[in-house]
This record gives sequence, C-alpha cells and structure tokens, in this order.
Amino acid sequence: SVEGDAIKVYVRVRPPSEGTALTDGDQGLCLSVLSSKTIRLHSKPEPKIFTFDYVANMETTQESVFSSVAKNIVESCMNGYNGTIFAYGQTGSGKTFTMMGPSDLDNFTHSLRGVIPRSFEYLFFLIEREKEKAGSGKSFLCKCSFIEIYNEQIFDLLDPASAGLFLREHIKKGVFVDGAVEQVLSSAAEAYQVLTMGWRNRRVASTSMNRESSRSHAVFTVTVESMEKNNEVVNIRSSLLNLVDLAGSERQKDTHAEGLRLKEAGNINRSLSCLGQVITALVDVGNGKQRHICYRDSKLTFLLRDSLGGNAKTCIIANVHPGSRSFGETLSTLNFAQRAKLIKNKAVVNEDTQGNVS
Amino acid sequence: MAAAAGGSEWAAVCEKFRAARTLSAVESRKDPETEPYRSKYSARALLQEVKQLLSAAEEGSEARLLAVRRAVLEYELGVNHSDTEELSAGEEHLQRCAQLLEPHRLSPQCNNLGILWSERDEIKTAQTYLESAEALYNQYMKEDGNPPMDPSEHFMAEEEKLTDQERSKRFEKAYTHTLYYLAQVYQHLEMIEKAAQYCHTTLKRQLEYCGYYPVEWALNAATLSQYYLSKQCFMESRHCLAAASVIFSQAGQVPSTEDNETEQDQQDLRQRKAEIARCWIKYCLNLLQSARKLLEDNVGELDPDRQLELKAQRKKEEDEKENGRKKAVLFGTSDIYDSVLAMEEKVSSVYPLDFQEAREIFLVGQNYVQEAKEFFQVDGYVTDHIEIVQDHSALFKVLAFFEEDYERRCKMHKRRIDMLEPLYADLNPQYYLLISRQLQFELADTYYEMMDLKVAIGNRLEELDSHTIKKINSLAQLAIKYYELFLDSLRNPDKVFPEKLEEDVLRPAMVAKFHIARLYGKLITSDSKKQLENMQTSLEYYTFLVDYCEKYPDAVHAVETELELSKEMVGLLPTRMERLRAKLCPFI
Repeated sequence: SVEGDAIKVYVRVRPPSEGTALTDGDQGLCLSVLSSKTIRLHSKPEPKIFTFDYVANMETTQESVFSSVAKNIVESCMNGYNGTIFAYGQTGSGKTFTMMGPSDLDNFTHSLRGVIPRSFEYLFFLIEREKEKAGSGKSFLCKCSFIEIYNEQIFDLLDPASAGLFLREHIKKGVFVDGAVEQVLSSAAEAYQVLTMGWRNRRVASTSMNRESSRSHAVFTVTVESMEKNNEVVNIRSSLLNLVDLAGSERQKDTHAEGLRLKEAGNINRSLSCLGQVITALVDVGNGKQRHICYRDSKLTFLLRDSLGGNAKTCIIANVHPGSRSFGETLSTLNFAQRAKLIKNKAVVNEDTQGNVS
Repeated sequence: MAAAAGGSEWAAVCEKFRAARTLSAVESRKDPETEPYRSKYSARALLQEVKQLLSAAEEGSEARLLAVRRAVLEYELGVNHSDTEELSAGEEHLQRCAQLLEPHRLSPQCNNLGILWSERDEIKTAQTYLESAEALYNQYMKEDGNPPMDPSEHFMAEEEKLTDQERSKRFEKAYTHTLYYLAQVYQHLEMIEKAAQYCHTTLKRQLEYCGYYPVEWALNAATLSQYYLSKQCFMESRHCLAAASVIFSQAGQVPSTEDNETEQDQQDLRQRKAEIARCWIKYCLNLLQSARKLLEDNVGELDPDRQLELKAQRKKEEDEKENGRKKAVLFGTSDIYDSVLAMEEKVSSVYPLDFQEAREIFLVGQNYVQEAKEFFQVDGYVTDHIEIVQDHSALFKVLAFFEEDYERRCKMHKRRIDMLEPLYADLNPQYYLLISRQLQFELADTYYEMMDLKVAIGNRLEELDSHTIKKINSLAQLAIKYYELFLDSLRNPDKVFPEKLEEDVLRPAMVAKFHIARLYGKLITSDSKKQLENMQTSLEYYTFLVDYCEKYPDAVHAVETELELSKEMVGLLPTRMERLRAKLCPFI
C-alpha cells in the first residue's frame, strides 16, 4: 500500500500538429524524451531534467497509454477501491485526444479512441468475467453521472436544462453532487452514448489566442456496485471511477497550479475579492496550530477530495506540447506534475499524548 | 487647448474613448461564453482609432498635455491586451506609457506592470514596480496632497471633470490596490509577516473608504484572525474576530442588489455566519490550550507554583496593557469601533490561569459550537460537522485539565466519548479514512485517560472495590479496541500490516502500540494465568517498538520517550513473568 498511496504521474508528449513540424523543424522542439521515465526540457542556460513514473514519447499509441495508466486503476476499482484519472495540460496539448480520442466522437471502434472509452470496455469486460466466474451468486450495478465545473458552479451535462447543482456529503456515501442525473449502464456501448451526449454540452470558448479552449472541468463518474451472496450473507461493495478532463491549464488561475501569479483586482471599480485567498495562504503555512480557514477548497478539489491524497488510486496524465512556443506552459505543466507526485495520503492523526507517559 | 484643433473633432475623440471604456468595463461582462473577449476586442479597435485621431488632431497642442493623453491611451491599450491574455503586447503598451510619463514623474501604470511581471513569474520585478508605486503615493501625499486627475479625465470635456472628492476616492482606491498587490507579492516571496501586515492595512482601508462587501470583509477579517492565532497574538486575533462579527451583522441589514433574494443567498449567509463561529471556536480553543502549555508540569498536570507565578506576573502586566493596545492596527471609524470594543469585552484575550477563568472561555467556545452546528449539520456537511464536534471534544479536554476533582474530570471525558462514538460508528472509512482514523485515535486516548483517572481515584481508596476494578478493566478494553481499530486501518487490502510505516502515521502507530502494551499491563485480574497472558501480550507490543526502531533507526526521533520505556519493560517483563510462573507451579 506504500506505493499505492502516492499519486502516479504520467507525462505524454504529443506530436506537433502537421504543418508546424515542417516550419519549425527539429530545432523548434523545446524538449526531448530521454527514457521511459525522464524528459529533458531545453531551458536556458541549463537544460532541466524531469523524472516521472512514466514518460510517453510522440510515437506512443493510445493502447499503450491505456495499459500503462488506466488498466491498473480499473482493476482496483473492481476490487472496491476508488480510482481517478486526470488529464492535465495546456489547451492544445492533447488532453482530449488522450482521454476521448479524435474529435469524431461517434466512432468508438476507432483505433485511436482514448482512455475513457477503453476504460469502459475494460470495466465491462472485467464485470462479465467476474459474473461468469461467480455464477448467479454475484451481481453488478453500474451507474454513471457526468458533470461540468465552470466558474465554480456545477452543471449536469446529462441534464443541460438543470440549474447549478450543489456538492454535499453523506456519512456513508462520501461526497456527491446533489441532484445529478445518474444513468444505469449495462454495456460499454451505453456508456459511450452517455458520454457523447454529455460531451456536446460542454462549454468551449474561442479567443484570438486559442481557436477553441475548454473552460470547464468535466468529470465523468462511474459507480460500480457489486453484490455477493454467500450463504445468506450479502456482501455489498461499491467504488467510484472518476475520469476527469481538466480545463486548459492556462485557464486554471483558481487552483494551485498557477505558481507565482498575482490575483488581479484589475478595474478600479471591482472589489478585491481575492484578498481572502492571500490571507488563506498566510494561515496555511501556520505551524500546525489549530485553526479554521473560512474559504473552502475549489469545487473540483472538494469533489475529488478522496482522490487527492485520500483512500484512492489516482493517476495524472500531464500532456505537453513539444513546440518551443509552448515552452512556458510546458514548464509549468511539468512543474505541476512534479508537485503532484508529492501529494500523498495525508493521514495526520491528532495526537498529543506526550504528557501521558507516566 | 484642444479647442484649437477643432472642438467638434475633440468631442468625437472623447466620445470614442468613452465608448471604449464602456465596452471594456460594462459590456464585456455580458459577452457570451463562447466569445469571452468580444467587447474587449471592439474596445481595442476603438482605442486604436482614438490613437490615430489624436496624432492628427493635436499637432499644435502643448507637448506635456499630448504626452499625458498618449500615455493614457497606451495605458488603456496595455490593460486591454493583458485582459485578453496577450501579455507581451500589453507590456509594450505599458512600457510606452511609462516612457511618456517618465519626464513628468507620474506613474499610474506601476500597478499594472507589477501584475504583468507576476504573470511571467517574475515576482521580484513586480515587487520593484509596486514598491515604487507605494513610494510615489507617499511622496505625492506629502508634497502635493490634492488628489490627482483620474486618467480618464484627460478625455473628458471641461464640464464633466470629476470633483476633488471623486478624484480622491479613485486615487485612494488605486493606492489600496497597490497595497493589496504588495500583500500578494510578499506572500509569494514568503515574507509572511509583511504580507499579513499589508492584508491587515488593506482591510482597514477598505473599511475607511467604504470599499467593501460586508460578508466578504468579515470572512477576510475572520481568516486573518487565524493567522494571528498561529502566532499566538490573541489580542489581534480577537480584534479581527470582533470586527468580523460586527461587520457581518451589517450584511443582513444592507438590501441586496437584486430584489428577490434567492434561497441560495440566504444559505450562503448562514454558512458564512457558521464559518465565523468556527473561527471563534478555534480562538477559544487555542487560548485554553496555550494557557495549559504554560501551566502544566512534566507529567501534564497543573503546576500550582507556576500558577501563582503567572498570576503575579499578570497583575504587573495589566498596568502596561493599554500601551500594547495602541501598537496594534485597529479597525473602523468611531461608531464601528465602539461595537467592536463591546464585542471584544465578551471574551478575554489573556491566558486563563484557573478553572473559573478557563470555564468562561470554554462556555463562549461552546456557544459558538452550537451556532456552527446549526448550519453544518451532519447530513450534507459530514466533514465540517465532525471537525466541529472534534473541536468541542478538544474544548472539554482542555477544560478538564483545569478541573481538580477527578470524578468531575472523568465526566468531562465521558461527554467527549458520547459525542464522538456515534459519529464514528456511522462513518464510512472508504470515503473518510482520515477522519475515521482521527476518531479512532481520539476515542482510544479518551478511554485511556479515563482509565488513568479511575486508577488514580482507586489508589486513594484503602482497597479497590470490585466495581472500580470492573470499571478500570472495561475502560482499558475499550481503549485497546480503538487503538487496534486504528492500527487495522493501516493494513493493506490483504490485511497485512505495513513493513515500514509512512512518516505521517509513524508516531500515532507507535504510540498506539505503546499504549496497548501499557493497557495490558494495567488490566486487573485475580487469575494468575490470565495475568501471565496479559504480560505476554504486553511484552509483544513493547518488543514491536524496540525491534522496529532497531530496523529503522529513523523512527527513533519520533518516539524517544516511548522507546526508552519500552526497552526497560522488555528487560523487566520476562523476569516478572518468570516469577509469576514459579508462583503458579511452585514444584517445577
């Protein structure tokens, strides 16, 4: 369990899009993959070397990404663990390609389909196998929900007409989105359908810098419930699989990913609404004293509380674009990924019994 | 002036400028999500037009005025580009603005250049710009004192120009922003104390110039109080909290901007109130705990000599107290200040030194526990609710320290058990592993403490009666149960205890093992065979500690005292067991 608690970080380098490779040439690349675990960023004056759990170069296939990242997590999900897979990176770095596949979404038989459809296939493959093995003694129930977090508000992608939803906690079930539509799934094909339908409802925006950039985080959650009957004793196990496509990292000024930026008050008429975040940061570095911070984590971290340093198996796929133009964003993505490796199951127990050793 | 180049032309320039400002500030908020910068882009186009018109229209006008107008345009363009994620272009414009103004020693663009550099992770550069803005403000206020013109005024007709009062308001606000940016810069540079000071001053200025939303301000002040708590500055902490409560109470009175206040807003308001209550709880808790630290002797009991000494010391300090007050930054104009003062009087900010004083703080804390729980109910807010209950338990724990009567002290611990146990029973560790472990450990510790108290009470009696023995044994068994549950939570899915413990659970796990060892040693039984078994189990647990530290010497620093005692016991127990065995079967 020692290694299972830490977050696994997988870096994937996308190939430069056609056309740019021709003009930029090899000199236009800002990084090179040294081995299956290390990557070198051509920063000046000294190049920087980063080490991760796995580094996938431009030639890596979708199948190989799936088997090294997601397979293990889907398996532990069958064993009752919660699992989460994040895709992180700048717009245009290949997050959606990695998670979904080519933008032609209706076709999930495509050999380029991404981690999410492959996870569905594998999950249902495992379920079928279990059922065959256990006969009528074991049954499964799979449900899914698909939500979007945009501007710190939660929307249901399966019910676009619904208003903002709320996060709540249940003492037995953990964190859940109150009122989110849950759809029962009986096959991978049904899962694709739900996914495709929800994906169309996502918010995208175009600016003069990016033709299309996703401004929201999308969280696809599959709940797997198994029921086993063993001589009158009914054993129910339930676990979650979260598949998360994060908003472009350049947009995530509200998470810890941003490094050293100042929060803007900008226009003179606007309020200094971020002062709280500064103060929070001051209190954060306090010396382990009991204190309360009034500002809640962002909705995303709250929803995925268990995945980030909790009782779960978590993997981050950091996507980077190798072009030298993306140098800044690539550096910050790699820095983020480096920090993510340090996140662990923080089971700090309040314990002050020093005085009791009599 | 501009009239020389044709009044109507100038009016058109002003009109365009104003339209651009409106587009940028007002219209842009309504832009569709798919084209977030539509209005900003149109504003940019307008500004470019103004720039062209300006060069044509103003050939003859005064150089200084022209430079200022150009600078204002560059400034607007710079902000526009920065807003739309085009930093380099934004920087060029702002730099040009700076160049134009350089000869005139004006620099409204410092704030923006500061932000720009921070976007590039060049905090040091940002710091330079912002500190020069701060210096400029101070110098200006000293030398001139009259509020300067707002940049946009350079494109207004004479009759539209702002009043001095309005100018001053804008100028002060810009300066507040400078302070606010500096607070962030210092925070990033980890100059924590300075950052806190700038946050504090920013809050104070917001209050002075009425530039705040009550709820937000109150939350900020309450959060800042928690910073002071971590520095043990209880007077400052209390001041922030009192101000937070006072300002928050205004929030309900101010009619909201929208007519129909939604249920969501009401809910938010209730949540904020509960959040502030939680800050108060922490305040009471910290004050009590710090006092305990001061008063306790080496076995964790109240030290009466220390108590007398501190009481004498306090008397001396009371005379100097007034001076201390003046040093702190205080919030508010006179009417607010009075309410804050009244609020402060409800709870002390000096260390309690006896049970009576401790109890008063405890009661204030307990009231806030009730208030916070009203909102953070277990249904929907599991984590928050349990955290509040944990605080409540901690309040009882520290209050018990001040209580001299052991029976009453025991009852206080029983209260802790009663509030924690049902929560633990319901909690699903699959989702709440951390809290679940905390509860296991706290329950174990509380039972352990109660057992110790019962033993102490029993020791005063001539002879232990069967009721007390039963009580001691059952408390010890319960403590063992919860320590074991905690240790079990560390096992992997195959139920195997980890070979090497993670740093963050190392100490608790070792302490749990150690306490279990001691508990088996304390179980009272008249059955010698049973006693032998208990000693055997105890020995095994002590041995675990010793072996583990031998294998991983890194662990030693975490459990030095426990290790020492364990080694001693591992040496002693076998002999004792031998003696007992000999007594059991004297003929072998």
